[in-house]
Amino acid sequence: MDPVTLELPHTLQRPGHAVAQEPMTRPAGPIVTGTSVVAFKYRDGIIMAADCLASYGSLARFRSENRLFKVNETTLLGAAGDMGDFQYMKHKLEDVMTHEYDMDDGQRLGTKSVYKCLSNIMYGRRTAINPLWNAYVVGGVDGGERVLGYVDLYGTTYTADAVATGFGKQIAIPMLRRRVEGRADEISEEEAVAILDDCMRVLFYRDCRALNKLRRAKVTAQGVEISEPYSLETNWTYAESIVGYGA
Amino acid sequence: MTSIGTGYDLSVSTYSPDGRVFQVEYAQKAVDNSGTAIGLRVKDGVVLAVEKIKHSRLLVPGSNKRIMTAGRHIGVAAAGWMSDTRHLVKRARDEAHHYHSVYKADIPAKIIAERMGMYVQAYTLYSSVRPFGVSTILACVDTDGPQLYMVEPSGQFTGYRGCAAGKGKQAAKTEIEKLKLEELTVRDAVKEAARIIYAAHDEAKDKLFELELSWICAESGMLHAHVPADVLAEAIQHAERSLDEDDDDDDEMEDEDL
Amino acid sequence: MFRNQYDNDASTWSPQGCIFQVDYASEAVKQGTAVVGLKSKSHVVLAAVKRSPNELASYMKKIIRIDDHMGIAVAGLTSDARVLSNYLRTEAMRSKMVYGRALPVGRAVNAIGDKAQINTQEYGRRPYGVGLLVIGHDDTGPHLYEFSPSGVVSEYYGYSIGARSQSARTNLERHFEQFADMSLKELIVQGLRALRDTMPQGKQLDSMNTSIGFVGADAKMTILDGDDTQPYLDLLDEGDAAMDTE
Repeated sequence: MDPVTLELPHTLQRPGHAVAQEPMTRPAGPIVTGTSVVAFKYRDGIIMAADCLASYGSLARFRSENRLFKVNETTLLGAAGDMGDFQYMKHKLEDVMTHEYDMDDGQRLGTKSVYKCLSNIMYGRRTAINPLWNAYVVGGVDGGERVLGYVDLYGTTYTADAVATGFGKQIAIPMLRRRVEGRADEISEEEAVAILDDCMRVLFYRDCRALNKLRRAKVTAQGVEISEPYSLETNWTYAESIVGYGA
Repeated sequence: MTSIGTGYDLSVSTYSPDGRVFQVEYAQKAVDNSGTAIGLRVKDGVVLAVEKIKHSRLLVPGSNKRIMTAGRHIGVAAAGWMSDTRHLVKRARDEAHHYHSVYKADIPAKIIAERMGMYVQAYTLYSSVRPFGVSTILACVDTDGPQLYMVEPSGQFTGYRGCAAGKGKQAAKTEIEKLKLEELTVRDAVKEAARIIYAAHDEAKDKLFELELSWICAESGMLHAHVPADVLAEAIQHAERSLDEDDDDDDEMEDEDL
Repeated sequence: MFRNQYDNDASTWSPQGCIFQVDYASEAVKQGTAVVGLKSKSHVVLAAVKRSPNELASYMKKIIRIDDHMGIAVAGLTSDARVLSNYLRTEAMRSKMVYGRALPVGRAVNAIGDKAQINTQEYGRRPYGVGLLVIGHDDTGPHLYEFSPSGVVSEYYGYSIGARSQSARTNLERHFEQFADMSLKELIVQGLRALRDTMPQGKQLDSMNTSIGFVGADAKMTILDGDDTQPYLDLLDEGDAAMDTE
């Protein structure tokens, strides 16, 4: 009889260690997933949004997840992709921040450092061919400077005035190119919220893995603020007139 | 004074004929030569205080800390060798971190105290190492409320309401025993701790010293932190004033005697 | 110093609560020529006397750069210092690679302090026979630390270790309250003045045997040797001349 084997996540399954003679296996994809994160720079700092859904395939499985995470007083992290891997990453960053607290020497780990650390972890894991299946957005204010960066499961990194993950790249980025890029310094908080809500609304219309229950967060010189979940006003009246697609 | 164990005192793995391990007692000596450290467990938190003896005026005040943090919610105050203290604090941080990575919860006080005790004890077993020359006082607030433990060079760890180690241990203990610890608030305890450290300080032996004070309470967000500058200043003021009053009392008594 | 039965290794306590091997290692620091360190609000400076083993040999290096923001001065066994400086360089590089930030000076010194502590506790090891003055500039400003063989590290406004360093410390103690507002130039001259007090009878500070190091908010870690030290030595002499006329 086959022995019962337990596959632990993030554990290398070495040949001989697992079932005899079978090739080594690696995660082939995410399991429980979050969809887009959208973020951009505005006058006072960084604004970011993500909905509260963690899907299990096409099933809307967990509907009150928080995909926005306050790393420290100046840094915000948004996550798309595998929620288990995100929890692991949160844990890891908590450890880093606990170590910083313990040092008690007046030094602060800025947003740039958090971003660099996160990027190193992601690139290290992909190079070990054992990636954390996520796309992350890191936003913050570091020494008076706004920082907004992206890193994904391939270890790809870039910084930009507007950043989004997954389907948000297709839907939100074109909108943000028009309304944010080049004028980030002019955008008031009020306008930023309006732009962000517009992006999230379109994403909710178009993205089958999105939920109309989302959180918004901002990082300013005053610190990180993550909102309670809220919903957007939607209009489905036109849906009546759509015919000829699928059913 | 510890008696000397003629020949039976060179290794920690040797008992003397009357069943003592002298090397552990000698390590305790290193603790007794150090500045006083105390801990007070009161109704709404824990306070740690250390008499940091300074060998030079050139030392930067507020730097060279003798009270350290291990995993946000645990404070470690120490009497004894500073480099040994850092070793143990590093171990405490590793234990706190490991517990957190397994259980995703803060390590409870009695568990970290036990683990630190076990670690220190291991250094009393083998001739290839020496015992730690430090007594560490662990402060922690966990689900059972405020906690205070002391780990000694022998590896013995004990829970306390109030404890003291170092040079002024006896004087400090006497003062602590007079306090009604269950009724004090941390705000009171900070002042009392400062007063006790000042009272235990021996002006004749060590001229320069600095008071270090830390707490875990609602005001510090239930995290271990050094007390804010204004609280420290207030506590020092209180300590100096009560020291002066004591001197006055002594003078009066002398007058009466005459 | 006389041998006694408790001084054979670092894993034996004496009845008084001392580790003699650690005390002896501290003696090795005093065998090295003196180094002086001192800091202002913006800069921190090292000054050291170099020794030449014989007339045909060059002078031994006393100040080592760790990173753009950090450097050390050595008193004692130079080879032990190389082990520690290598370690510091690795740690500094690691901090840059992992977090993209310069290694905070206090953490750097504590890292070698923790390393040194192990050598004071286990049989078959010997404590490092070297003292260091570590200078550096980070987000919390300029710092001066002393590292000692016991693994204890301390932060100072000004300090000196090595042969006859007590004279330099006395000098520093007299003046340290004025250090905070000094310019870099004044600070260097002040350092040399303290260093000069450690010179044995008949020996002078000159451009051959003097080494100067500094770092600050606007200055990367810099080491001055040879002719580069002359302007500061001249200032030192000028200062003396001015004092004489007063």
